[in-house]
Amino acid sequence: MDDFLAMTEADIARWFGIAAPNEPARRMAADMAQIIAAFEKVRGTLKFEDEPSSFEQALLDTRDAGA
Amino acid sequence: MIRNSDLADLSLVDAAEAVRTGETTSEALLDACLATIDAANGQVNATIWLDREGAREAAREADKARAAGAPLGPLHGVPMAHKDMYYQVGRRSTCGSAIREDFVADATATVVERLAAAGAYAFGGLNMAEFALNPTGHNKAFGDCRNPWGADHITGGSSSGSGAGVAARFTFAALGSDTGGSIRLPASACGVTGLKPTQTRVSRAGVMPLSFSCDNVGPLTRTARDCARFMSVIAGHDPRDPTSARLPVPDYEAVLDGDVRGLRIGIAETYFLNGADAPVVAAVEQACAVFAARGAIVSRIALPLMDAVTAYGGIVSRVEASTIHETWMRERPGDYAVHLSARLYAGFAIPAAYYVQALSRRGPVLRAFAGEVFGKVDVLATPTIRTCLPTRAETDIDHGPPGSETRFMAVSANTRPFNYLGLPAISIPCGFDPNGLPIGLQLAARPFGEARLLKVADAYQRDTDWHLRRPPLPGAAA
Repeated sequence: MDDFLAMTEADIARWFGIAAPNEPARRMAADMAQIIAAFEKVRGTLKFEDEPSSFEQALLDTRDAGA
Repeated sequence: MIRNSDLADLSLVDAAEAVRTGETTSEALLDACLATIDAANGQVNATIWLDREGAREAAREADKARAAGAPLGPLHGVPMAHKDMYYQVGRRSTCGSAIREDFVADATATVVERLAAAGAYAFGGLNMAEFALNPTGHNKAFGDCRNPWGADHITGGSSSGSGAGVAARFTFAALGSDTGGSIRLPASACGVTGLKPTQTRVSRAGVMPLSFSCDNVGPLTRTARDCARFMSVIAGHDPRDPTSARLPVPDYEAVLDGDVRGLRIGIAETYFLNGADAPVVAAVEQACAVFAARGAIVSRIALPLMDAVTAYGGIVSRVEASTIHETWMRERPGDYAVHLSARLYAGFAIPAAYYVQALSRRGPVLRAFAGEVFGKVDVLATPTIRTCLPTRAETDIDHGPPGSETRFMAVSANTRPFNYLGLPAISIPCGFDPNGLPIGLQLAARPFGEARLLKVADAYQRDTDWHLRRPPLPGAAA
């Protein structure tokens, strides 16, 4: 995890020019392992044609019949 | 005439009706709000600024208009204070932050304009989580807002002052905003009613952004009927917010008839009860028994796709918030609270491909979730907050021990999923925990099902009085 955190800090510094502001920031950045684990569970579900603008239409298509 | 000492206790609807019928005046309503603030704000810390002179002038104008026989809007003469991130020309909008302590906007938020067109006027800016980015109400710049039911406990956030202020009778209603639970959490924690509308239902023009995919504007009030009137005023398409839906706005108040016979209410078994405290579960089950007694069909339902909802929903707002705060994070990191800069920092570590995947799957996940769940039930019921309300110390990342992050994030575990899904959800008070702090029942429905939610919430409030309880604060009416 220390290697992962060091790599993450270096990446953020390089891409954004931002240093870790405090120790909780380092702890939260190190918590990326939880996000990775969550995404591992849903790997393979993304369809080739999926794209963000489908959301607004999905809201309308699934709306309450009384709306 | 209504006694002045009782005015602050009126619901929003009753206050508006009292002005309309001449039972009271707008100026008397304002005096009642200011008197409760003067008596109890030292304990609650719900306000950031007050414009007493401007409000006095607005109140007198409202009273003159009524006396002159002018047409009156549905909120005529009602004073309100709002979360301090709704821009108003010539007034501060601190966004709860030191960075924007002196910010004055050059345009007024559409929702504030719509409330004004309905006859209401704004008299103050309410405390909030810094940049609307915590679920607890901690605030480094202006001091923590404190729960009117117990000062050591969190108010919920980020609309902390809106929840506490409505509960404490500082204001008859307040605008909040909800990106991961920020209306529903303070509503639950402070014992008031709060509605997060469907994504795109209410304009966000002139409102401080946090996450353009998940931000929502909505009301905190004392009753579901108040929420309904408020929503009828603020909802609807706005050319200034191209993302706002073009659907017509129903008369939300007109559907409140108490009839929930045959309505299918499902207690969500998957995810939402994980690690829940027994008093909270019991309160939710008792609330559902009230619906059953009114003829609703209550069942338990397993939810699909919660792995996807939690994985994707956990990153969208984080990435978007980090992105819009990038410059200040580089140039003024010390001006943020520790917990806020920590969360923003971590957002920069999330890969772009994850973010795009989360957005791309949002529509398909919503279709699958809605198809499966709302084919079986009309309304989902969950606790708004799974646990008994934590204290400010237990969730204080800035000063607490390692591990406080876990407690902090757990507060919003039950509200965040509905932001990713874009569904409307309401929190209504349904009891008190063993420490005397309110418990909230969260109800969610199909997109644009606000009318259904308000009808169900109103039906519940016809049979219960949790929403009428008043916190024991200085200046409370006997």
